[in-house]
Amino acid sequence: MDPVILTFLAAPIAASLIIAGIHAYLGLHVVERGVIFVDLSLAQIASLGAAIAVWQGHDPHDPAIYWMSLLFTLIGAFIFAMIKGHNANVPQEAIIGISYAVASAAVILTMSKSTGESEHLKDMLVGNILSVQWSEVWLTGGIYVLIGVFHYVFRRRFIEISVDPVGAAARGVPIRLWDFLFYASFGLVVTRSVAIAGVLLVFCYLIVPSVGAMLWARKIGPRLAIGWAMGGLVSMLGMYVSVQFDLPTGAAIVCTFGFVLIVMALLRPILISRVR
Amino acid sequence: MRSHLRHAVLAGLLAVFSATPAAAALRVVTTTEDLASLAREVGGEKVEVVALAKGYQDPHFVEPKPSFILAVSRADLLIAVGRELEIGWLPTLISSARNAKIQPGAPGYLDASLNVKILEIPTVQLTRAMGDVHPQGNPHYWLDPGNGRRIAQGIRDRLTQLSPADRAFFAQHYDDFDKRLAAAEQRWDAAMAPFKGTKVVTYHRSWPNFMERFGLNVMGYVEPKPGIPPSPSHTLELIADMKAQGAKLIVVEPYFDKKTPNAVAAQVGGTVLELAPSVGGEKEAADYIRLFDFDVNLLVSTLKKVTGK
Repeated sequence: MDPVILTFLAAPIAASLIIAGIHAYLGLHVVERGVIFVDLSLAQIASLGAAIAVWQGHDPHDPAIYWMSLLFTLIGAFIFAMIKGHNANVPQEAIIGISYAVASAAVILTMSKSTGESEHLKDMLVGNILSVQWSEVWLTGGIYVLIGVFHYVFRRRFIEISVDPVGAAARGVPIRLWDFLFYASFGLVVTRSVAIAGVLLVFCYLIVPSVGAMLWARKIGPRLAIGWAMGGLVSMLGMYVSVQFDLPTGAAIVCTFGFVLIVMALLRPILISRVR
Repeated sequence: MRSHLRHAVLAGLLAVFSATPAAAALRVVTTTEDLASLAREVGGEKVEVVALAKGYQDPHFVEPKPSFILAVSRADLLIAVGRELEIGWLPTLISSARNAKIQPGAPGYLDASLNVKILEIPTVQLTRAMGDVHPQGNPHYWLDPGNGRRIAQGIRDRLTQLSPADRAFFAQHYDDFDKRLAAAEQRWDAAMAPFKGTKVVTYHRSWPNFMERFGLNVMGYVEPKPGIPPSPSHTLELIADMKAQGAKLIVVEPYFDKKTPNAVAAQVGGTVLELAPSVGGEKEAADYIRLFDFDVNLLVSTLKKVTGK
């Protein structure tokens, strides 16, 4: 491997570590809640907002696009917060899947009417981590720190409503409000991450570290530590594979995630027996 | 960590400089294989050429890889097709590579479209309703050998500016290419002459320069608007138009779905023909002149069948 490449990979590496950091944490909630595809759904709803803003005649670099996609993210967060527990017969994952399908199709319809800048909308969904710029890294890092602080301050509440919603409701916690806050902050993160790294990669950063951590640990603390270690390690390994074999970076990291998860699953019996 | 990084950078720089002989070849990076072929014709052994997009890829959409950044970061000259063809991927690549020599406006950045003949430059205010129209005209201009000659002239002049000592070398290589191209053009014109005015349909607007040069008449497109997949109503209109005007040939780029063109061809009793839009798009189309050899041969043999001439 040519070491010069490292100087050019610094921004992508920084971006991937920032994304790994917040998503490994949010992933614990998402897996605990059993809403695995909520990130795909919220990202798609956000891009529907952007598509509608472009259709309304806004320039792709207009801040109006960002505000519109943010508004749609909040609407999506509101919907997901409201449906929970409302009718126990309909699984929440079904509503999330339906939102994904309808939002995707609505993006296609909107794009067919506002063809001018469709490439930019495609970019929103298939961001490329290799072309991330330092300005984006700083902005994203800043936003994630704010959201991370918010989650840290209210960590007990957030964990309570994710792990034991029924008990929390019985104790008089306003579940819908906290669910909305969770999905809204989550949507903010996912929308930005997807614009940088693309849907596939963000999905992996969210789900794979927490699944890997569940294989090896039960408590939230160790699971978070394992998730962070795995996210960081896989980012580096994936980048290395991408450089060494000159492969598209995002896809290389995704496949590395799959490979590392298999290795962790194979090592599980050894670890568990040692603990016992 | 920081000192490690610095060591790594130093080691890399050493590797670059020590690997470079005294009379170094100019490192040329082009966005497409067409430009790479022309740069090799003009630059000969005085240049080392790397093309980023492969000839079988749609140059509008290219997924950047680590090697792209490395190649651009070390380039002495970057040649782009321009006219916003690479707008989706080249600007971020250039800024990621942080090479002052090849920034737009620097002598090491050559927009190959600046002295060529561009078609379809919009004369009215563009609106979103018109589709993914390139506001600076059609970027598929290299498919006219006349433009290939003009691109080669631009490359010759820029290489001479970057390496003035090799002026005579580049001039001689350009003249040699010019002669071979002129001879080939006579061959292609003769082969295509019987089919002047034949009406054809193309998938994307990739072929206006090619068709104009060889006297074919593009009467419609499979895409309703540039970049928009075929819709049912447009497809039905196209079938009716082709029947009314007696058009039988649909030319398709290798990276588009053949389903709709095949369905249209079946309806009008016509033929779908896949031509190579770029050098490297087909194995035989290995350089700029052989690209036209390949396309013209294929087109002539298909047109013979379709028109019965």
